[in-house]
Amino acid sequence: MKKRFLIGGGILVLVVGYLLFLSLGSSVSYYLTVSEFVDKGDQFYDTHVRVAGKVVGDSIDWSAEDLELRFAITEGGKTLSVIYNGAKPSGFKAGSDILVDGKYDSGKIFRASQLILKCPSKYEPED
Amino acid sequence: MTEIGYIVLVIALLVAIFSAAASVIGVRVGSRRLVASARSSILAVFGLFTLALAIILYAFITKDFSVKIVAEHTSQNMPAVYTLSALYADKAGSIFFWGWLVSLFAALLVLQKRDNHQPGKAYALSILAIVEIFFLALVTFGVNVFAKHPSPPVDGFGLNPLLQNFGMLIHPPLLYLGFAGFAVVFALVMASLITRSTGAEWSLRVRGWTIFAWCTLGLGNLVGMWWSYNELGWGGYWAWDPVENVGLMPWLLGTAFLHSIAMRSQRNYLQTWGFCLIIFTFAFTLLSPFITHGGIESPLHGFYGSPFPPYILAAILVTLISSLALLYIRHRSFEKEKKPSSLISKEGAFLLTNIILVVLVLVIFTGTVLPRIVEAVAGVKIVIDRSFFDCVCGPIMLVVVFLMGVCPLLGWGKSAWHSIKRSFLYTLLAIMVIAIVILISGIGNWYAAAVMICGLPLFTICLEWYRGTRARQRTRKENCIRAFLSLLNSNRARYGGFLTHIGIILITLGVIASSFYSIEKTATLNTGESMNISGYTLTYDELMLKQDNMKVSAIASMLVDRNGRLVGIMHPSYDYWFGFQDYFAEVAVRTTPAEDLFISLVWTGYDPNDKSATFRVLVNPLIVWIWVGGGFFLLGGAIAFSSKGKQLYRVEG
Repeated sequence: MKKRFLIGGGILVLVVGYLLFLSLGSSVSYYLTVSEFVDKGDQFYDTHVRVAGKVVGDSIDWSAEDLELRFAITEGGKTLSVIYNGAKPSGFKAGSDILVDGKYDSGKIFRASQLILKCPSKYEPED
Repeated sequence: MTEIGYIVLVIALLVAIFSAAASVIGVRVGSRRLVASARSSILAVFGLFTLALAIILYAFITKDFSVKIVAEHTSQNMPAVYTLSALYADKAGSIFFWGWLVSLFAALLVLQKRDNHQPGKAYALSILAIVEIFFLALVTFGVNVFAKHPSPPVDGFGLNPLLQNFGMLIHPPLLYLGFAGFAVVFALVMASLITRSTGAEWSLRVRGWTIFAWCTLGLGNLVGMWWSYNELGWGGYWAWDPVENVGLMPWLLGTAFLHSIAMRSQRNYLQTWGFCLIIFTFAFTLLSPFITHGGIESPLHGFYGSPFPPYILAAILVTLISSLALLYIRHRSFEKEKKPSSLISKEGAFLLTNIILVVLVLVIFTGTVLPRIVEAVAGVKIVIDRSFFDCVCGPIMLVVVFLMGVCPLLGWGKSAWHSIKRSFLYTLLAIMVIAIVILISGIGNWYAAAVMICGLPLFTICLEWYRGTRARQRTRKENCIRAFLSLLNSNRARYGGFLTHIGIILITLGVIASSFYSIEKTATLNTGESMNISGYTLTYDELMLKQDNMKVSAIASMLVDRNGRLVGIMHPSYDYWFGFQDYFAEVAVRTTPAEDLFISLVWTGYDPNDKSATFRVLVNPLIVWIWVGGGFFLLGGAIAFSSKGKQLYRVEG
């Protein structure tokens, strides 16, 4: 009887392990601040990364025609230009803390596939 | 007024400390008077806590902006309904509310006179008093909920518009009801460990509380999903965000615990395992404020720097170490545990479900905390995106749903192959045929998979009901509705459980359909222009600007045509909130049993001359069944909760 449970448990571990192996590789990406990202330069060229910074106030440019949002984010004295295809999410404004997910392309522009702003359940007024 | 509130909380803290000590000492020295006074002081803590709650609510209602949390989360012109939301919007406020619920439940336990003379009850109350001490210490010394605003503003900051929603009004309290409920279950179970009354009867004593906590926590998560879908405007309902995961993990562990006690009350299985489950369920409920209110969240969110995390981490460690140590000391004196004789039996299926649920929690936990561990160990920051969770947790959850269908077909003990064949064969054949028809007709491969996975549990439940009803009709000559209702009544735990299973199956169906067959399109339109999506023609008709004292709204009129026929006019809006100096989209959703049409107005220039606006439109199939499933879940939970003591002995999966 014990043997059967061992075999069953073994199969379970293998299946879950396989699923973990399959998905971990493709769903893990680096998380950097703007200055770290800019300093390391081309090392992250064409790899999926998440970059954290603040939205630069006068950089926001939204084109409704092309559904394209261009802006820059800054941190530690460095800035990064970002292009995102989609409208401004709530909470997106000058000085907002933002996470951009995407890839750095050859034109030194970060192409974001996702913008993440702070979650409203943690909303606190700025002091 | 608020000074009084603070003093009341400090007194409550002192009374709770007395109660925790008096209960234990009273039992040890055999002083009934001391135990009785500990019980009264539990009631006193509840009274004082309630008084403090009334004071803080009074400050909210009268808009007393000299109180910090009132100034930060309300404003003059905010609707009064959201007073409570404003309380939970604050981290100290939500801890406060949660602590109040614990004190309420502890008081209920005292008033539930049964077992009041038993030492087990005294220990349980002592443990709950310790939990109260923890919460009271957090809201007095950690963060004072009654803290004054350094420079009281004329008008408050106002509540985040995203939180001004019915869902947010009931989502947090449901979660906290669940969390506080599990604290009671934990206390009762630990007390039975301390008093060595570890026979099967302890599991019966905690059943009611477990069903209650499990049900409210499950609903809380579901309402959170509903809110996210209807308010956040991204068109989804679950993103595997750490904040969501901490609500899901204790629920999954609680699910495993609920099923392990169902099995214990029937057979003497899974003793140590069941104790471990409730210990971890309780520890995981404490993880929630640790993650939600700043702690191991991303560094960017770290600026919410709250003083809670070290306290909470310490509380989790103390809980785990002390209760696992107690379990280790006691487990040698347990009566010998039975082992399932065969995997292909009801107890085998229960065991498997239990193991899979725990594996699932391990995976989610890993995905949630791995980035922090990697950072601490390797100094590299990483993120794990949702594809990891979808890819690993999705299949595991489907296996659990499938097992729900297998379980009722199996008997206790060893099942003979021929009886399994008889009950399974035709069902499986019928389901296969339907799945193949769907596959061939090209409706979608995942729909075929959904039928394969959900079909069996749905069928077996209906079969059980049908057989039971027929038997009653025959023996008692009742009509079919009456027979069905009295069947439900005859074993509420069992049939209520089936109803919640139907709820889960419907939720699974909605999740599969909306995950794989959702269609999305974004377009900028001028008035008079149209866009097509999945059989709908949407014509942007008009834009109206409306202003009140909190916001200016741009409200679009969208004519919805389906197959050339006007089926409705929808009004998504894009609001600028003055207090927040920010835009928030208010989505419009048209729900049918087959699919939701979801329109979010994501941009417009507020220009009377140029009314061009950008719309994000989604067609989400079968999503309404997630919420309908939630209804079944609640109904089933309520029926199971109402089961009487004597029925507890006949619990079966």
